[in-house]
Amino acid sequence: MSDILVVSIYPTLLGTYGDGGNVLALHHRARLHGIGVEVIEVEPGQAVPESADLYVLGGGEDSAQTAAADALRTDGALIRAADSGAAVLAVCAGYQLLGEYFPDATSTATPGLGILDIRTERLPKRAVGELAATAKDPVTQILTGYENHAGGTQLGPDATPLGAVRSGIGNGNGSEGATSGHVIGTYLHGPCLARNPQLADLLLGWAVGADLNFIEEPEVTQLREERLRTVLG
Amino acid sequence: MGRGEGMVIGGRVILKLAPNAIEEMARDRVAALVSATNGKTSTTRLLATAVEQAGPVISQHTGANMTSGVAVTLASGDPLAQAVLEVDEAYLPAIFRATNPRVIILGNLSRDQLDRMNEVAMVARRWRDMLADATATTVVANADDPSIVWAARHAPNVIWVAAGQVWTADSAVCLDCGALLRREGTTWQCPRCGFARPTPQWTLEYVEDHTTVRGPGDQRYDMRLQLPGRFNAANGALALVATVVMGLDPAESARRMATVESVSGRYAVVRVGELTIRLLLAKNPAGWSELVDVMPPAPTPVIVTINSNAADGRDPSWLWDVPFERLRGRVVVATGDRRRDLAVRLLHAEVDHVVIEDPYAPAAPLPPGMRDLEVVDCAATYTAFHHLRTTADRQAGQRS
Repeated sequence: MSDILVVSIYPTLLGTYGDGGNVLALHHRARLHGIGVEVIEVEPGQAVPESADLYVLGGGEDSAQTAAADALRTDGALIRAADSGAAVLAVCAGYQLLGEYFPDATSTATPGLGILDIRTERLPKRAVGELAATAKDPVTQILTGYENHAGGTQLGPDATPLGAVRSGIGNGNGSEGATSGHVIGTYLHGPCLARNPQLADLLLGWAVGADLNFIEEPEVTQLREERLRTVLG
Repeated sequence: MGRGEGMVIGGRVILKLAPNAIEEMARDRVAALVSATNGKTSTTRLLATAVEQAGPVISQHTGANMTSGVAVTLASGDPLAQAVLEVDEAYLPAIFRATNPRVIILGNLSRDQLDRMNEVAMVARRWRDMLADATATTVVANADDPSIVWAARHAPNVIWVAAGQVWTADSAVCLDCGALLRREGTTWQCPRCGFARPTPQWTLEYVEDHTTVRGPGDQRYDMRLQLPGRFNAANGALALVATVVMGLDPAESARRMATVESVSGRYAVVRVGELTIRLLLAKNPAGWSELVDVMPPAPTPVIVTINSNAADGRDPSWLWDVPFERLRGRVVVATGDRRRDLAVRLLHAEVDHVVIEDPYAPAAPLPPGMRDLEVVDCAATYTAFHHLRTTADRQAGQRS
């Protein structure tokens, strides 16, 4: 199968919660499927390539999140790439900054990139703990991960929830994450794609333009079963 | 009850009976507080050992470093002894105000227990506020860690020590203006607002087990620590400079610090079940990134134990920030409550591994050659580390 280009966006700003693991998971799953992957890490000040197949953003601290949003808006390439159908995975702070606005360190609404039709405001209490959510077609596995954020996210009509919360807070209104076209935003750390390989395959499938047959790995299945047993009983 | 928990309960009782107990017991005798994400227990032990050249010293022996642990330490031992205390990063501002220490050592800040600790920038902000009017205290601070410098640079009295920073991922951004810091060798600066590494008065020179600490006016002290690794040399350098601030003889400090063999079980070689293991505490990516260097090279197999109790951090996502790829070429035994998270991480790092619930059981399916090793390195998170120590102590007690 064809090779794909994955861009890891600002890993030094958006990589606080182990989300760099999503890139490793994409690399790993792609290899299982016989897809070649080239990964480029882009830092602020460097131009974001516009022609990549898949863009990955992770979580980060408040000031880093604002800096990342400013730099990405100035750069513009991620917005144009998402517009023209590239796959995007954005986690936590990265998820929030894809929206219309999010709260900065002083809780002031800060403009996001407008890629997802979402708005984030501060939750009364920080959401910290295991998160489990029922996903929607074509993802059949329950989504599992760990959340650690202070944002409550409302979805507008152009975004669909990624899942329905079974345990935890997620968006703060019963739903978890948001998706639109080939863009996925989520509060799941863990990292998300290592704990939810179907989601990794969905993104890779979008990147290569083909549905991928799911390949199961015992280590991952055992971890998923353990975590879901812990939170759902 | 685990090691240290008795102290914590004792401390809670003291503080219930006398809420100002720390202030009263600390009066004018706290020589130093030590805080950092990594190395605070070892730095405290090195410093306490060095300060003994001036008379009796009280210090924690269990790592209980929050309010209760500090209270019970101050209540124990000689009431006139000087105190050298390690303090948890989040509790430092309150304990600093209550104890009015002569010196405060600030070693490093990096991601750790993010479910409890909040983020690095938030800790740095609280430390900065704490130091704004600290006129009676000298801060001994690591000039190589931008978060530490940001927290300490407006303090009235600061001594900068170039103690090194290997893990830079948590200080990528200028805490003043949010721009990406520019690094060149050991120096760093913000290209936008000018925030930069201060000129250090003291510098650590670490070359494979040979450590020199250089200070103003051609001062130069050799340190031959028994504690391994660059990170312990950094701990020793900060402690040595703190003793200079206290008016002690740094050469004597270096001599005394060299007598420390292990700190609260770190690097201790103990017997657990049928294995003889060397205990390594590895609780976050910054610590791990340096610990890999003290392990024997591949193909020697090692044990890694990951728990996620409160003191370990509830979320083991940090395993994905650890450069486990550097363990390739050997078999890793994955154990602990979160052994399955570790196994998935090692799968992605392409490190051979076996998942074993109890590697110390007589019939445990250990990798080939592990049972023949004289000493097996075992890296463990905080609660796993203490569980192994307790198990080893109990086993040793039964033998003798």
